[in-house]
Amino acid sequence: MSIKLYYALPSPPCRATLLTIKALQLEVDLVPINLVAQEHLTTDFLKINPFHTLPTIQDEEFYIWDSHAINCYLVDKFGEDDGLYPRDLQRRAVVDQRLHFDSNVLSARFAAIVSPILREGARIIPKDKSDALLQGLTLLESLLEKSYYVTGNTLTIADFSLVATVSSANAVLPLASNRFPNIFEWLARMESLPYYQEANQEGLDAFATMLKSKHLVRQASAVK
Amino acid sequence: MAPTLYMIPPSPPVRSVLMTAKALGLTLNEKIINFPAGEHLQPEYLKLNPQHTVPTLVDDDGFAVWDSNAINPYLIGKYAKDDSLYPQDLQKRAIVDQRLHFNGSVAFGAVAGIVRCILYEGKTCLDDNDKTRVEQVYAFLEAFLDDGKPWMAGDCLTVADYNLYATVSAGDVLVPIDGQKYPKVATWFDKVGNLPEAEATKKGLAIFESLISSKLQ
Repeated sequence: MSIKLYYALPSPPCRATLLTIKALQLEVDLVPINLVAQEHLTTDFLKINPFHTLPTIQDEEFYIWDSHAINCYLVDKFGEDDGLYPRDLQRRAVVDQRLHFDSNVLSARFAAIVSPILREGARIIPKDKSDALLQGLTLLESLLEKSYYVTGNTLTIADFSLVATVSSANAVLPLASNRFPNIFEWLARMESLPYYQEANQEGLDAFATMLKSKHLVRQASAVK
Repeated sequence: MAPTLYMIPPSPPVRSVLMTAKALGLTLNEKIINFPAGEHLQPEYLKLNPQHTVPTLVDDDGFAVWDSNAINPYLIGKYAKDDSLYPQDLQKRAIVDQRLHFNGSVAFGAVAGIVRCILYEGKTCLDDNDKTRVEQVYAFLEAFLDDGKPWMAGDCLTVADYNLYATVSAGDVLVPIDGQKYPKVATWFDKVGNLPEAEATKKGLAIFESLISSKLQ
């Protein structure tokens, strides 16, 4: 029985897991979940994940959610080597810190902007929320000053989580390339991965289309 | 030479590192960062942690890492006698990891957001929104414990319990855990609080409590 991935293509964390799956060249049953039709709230799905979040994976009788936990698990279990999630404690700790930076800072601040839009019909991107996200991105910009990828000069699952979030943020805000040159160089590097189009770009395009249809207004920011 | 922990005692993530270190029998060289004086923004500290948060760990070989959800698994991997606090078994580890990400993004996000408003933005009382946010965290944790297992990640005490305990103990100061609504969380909270390693968090928690009560009306 192969791995099952319950996902929605536009969702950034789902795309982070898709990037991991493609990088590992894993055969996975992709099970799309239609959030608008509330398929994540069916009795069957709640049995799998009572928190009804995506992505969720099923590996035989084992279910796990949260894209960061999933991606660590997939590399440890199926990776031919540990490149994407090093076993060396210090290198792993740096990947872990970047993964938590994605969940606690960038994804959280991005969700604070997008959730009201998608769930409550908000049309405004408040200045304080976009400033908070830009502040987080400023830190990422400095982390990329001296390295090709977010933890150093090797691609890891931290890059997958962060590129899904940052590319999605860029579709909503969008970011000034002269303010974030390192981030844009890194984005280009990630876009050149052979599986990027299928694993992230397609879903990103769907996400961007969905948000464009909302005709959002961004409150003018004093932060340049 | 002992690893160095840059810290302030009342910070929940700092307290989770102190708890983990005590459980490991590890002595840390504690260095308090003077936030009001802007010490966290000095070049020396930014070199260690460009996010200028606490805790930051600097190991005895100069390796620096921040974020308690990354620090604690590192300390356990390096210094623990066995893997019980952060299992090598991939499925058990994945559940711990999911709980740690929940701790950082949802649980600590809720608590820290309110604390920031109290300490830096002049908030003098919690409104219904704040209470709902914290109670939502308790509701999630009650559901994590729904399978009747004693600890947050299953049958065994893990770093997920330490990190969540540190966050929840701060949440409890803001919005006390209602034992009628969240009986499993209340039981778990008492159990973890009575562990010997929890002693390492008490001094900082008392400072946190008095900081908050001095600001709230």
